[in-house]
Amino acid sequence: MKAKVAVLVFPGTNSEIETWRICRDVGLDTDVVHWSQAATLPKYGAYVLPGGFAYEDRIRAGAISAHDPMMDYVIEGAQNGKLVLGICNGAQIVLEAGLVPGTGPVRKPTAAFTRNGPVPHFVCKHVYVKLTIAPERCAITASLKPDALIPAWAAHGEGRLAATGDHLREIVDGGHLAFVYAHADGSVDESAVPNASALGCAGLTNRDGNVLAIMPHPERDAWNYNHPDRMQGTDILAPSGGVTIFKALAEALKRA
Amino acid sequence: MKRTVAIKLKIPDNEAYTALTALRRLGLSIARLERAEIWQLDDRGNASDVAQRVERNESLFNQNKHELHVLEAERPREGEVWIEQLDARDVPVRIAGVHHARRYVGWRLFAEGHKPANRDAVRAAVEQLLCNPAIEKAVF
Repeated sequence: MKAKVAVLVFPGTNSEIETWRICRDVGLDTDVVHWSQAATLPKYGAYVLPGGFAYEDRIRAGAISAHDPMMDYVIEGAQNGKLVLGICNGAQIVLEAGLVPGTGPVRKPTAAFTRNGPVPHFVCKHVYVKLTIAPERCAITASLKPDALIPAWAAHGEGRLAATGDHLREIVDGGHLAFVYAHADGSVDESAVPNASALGCAGLTNRDGNVLAIMPHPERDAWNYNHPDRMQGTDILAPSGGVTIFKALAEALKRA
Repeated sequence: MKRTVAIKLKIPDNEAYTALTALRRLGLSIARLERAEIWQLDDRGNASDVAQRVERNESLFNQNKHELHVLEAERPREGEVWIEQLDARDVPVRIAGVHHARRYVGWRLFAEGHKPANRDAVRAAVEQLLCNPAIEKAVF
């Protein structure tokens, strides 16, 4: 039976429609599931946590959502090998839930995507993220090419990876650093990082490689019309580079 | 001279209510939860007018929704925890006479009968929800 995908909506989530749409466009049987429908989650084969401001980021971004009843199902599913993709606020939630980097117990976070640096302002900027792990290290990236470069939009006030020195070492040594910010030519340096994120981190995976948290929004670079510079001379309804990550998710679900 | 002030909402605090609901869902027996911004100021001005000087900073204090208390102790009270973001310890603020400031988020937990929550309850709230040790430090 074809696995279904749930796009989760917490109170304050705001990117569920575009996320649902790109999942649908890559052939995934996808439903938007609201917090009041949490009990339906076990029937889904994968969970996508979209961006937004769940619970208004009260206490910390993702802190309340990590304890929402929906996350009970997501955590259980992740522990049983289901695929989980967290984007932006969804990434903050899976970090607060301790699913990534997953170096501590569940709901005991060892890292956070926190206030941007060096100036703590909201960033809205087109970026590229580069795959830094072997593709097969993470189930969701397994069909990507090595060093894959994916365009996305960074749109966050709290996207800087922060952790203690020991935990940052665990992230590196354990192969959890899935994506870093990069330039359009694939080169990597500090100037490509929009938020002073530690390790230049844009995305993390867990030990088992079935959970991926990515801070910028690939779904907002999913069609050419997302770009002023692609509005002329191209098919504006054609898929853009951000679709790659969702195609990879679809491939991963086919293999699962 | 170190002075400590607490700025809290006098209108309903939705964030505190959400945190209270989450803590109860986690099994903690908390009757009430209050939240405040705690500012620890290195102050060269007069103690008598520190409240007025802080209230003049409109980015910190809005008289329509905030109330300000000057705290006697430099430490959290019984049933209280202060959460500090580890990499944002020194906060630039413009308050006359103040040359250095540290910001905390203060949470006061109460048991039934308006009694301060005991230390175990505060510790549980800190460990389960109020503090992410990767980026924050809890003082209680």
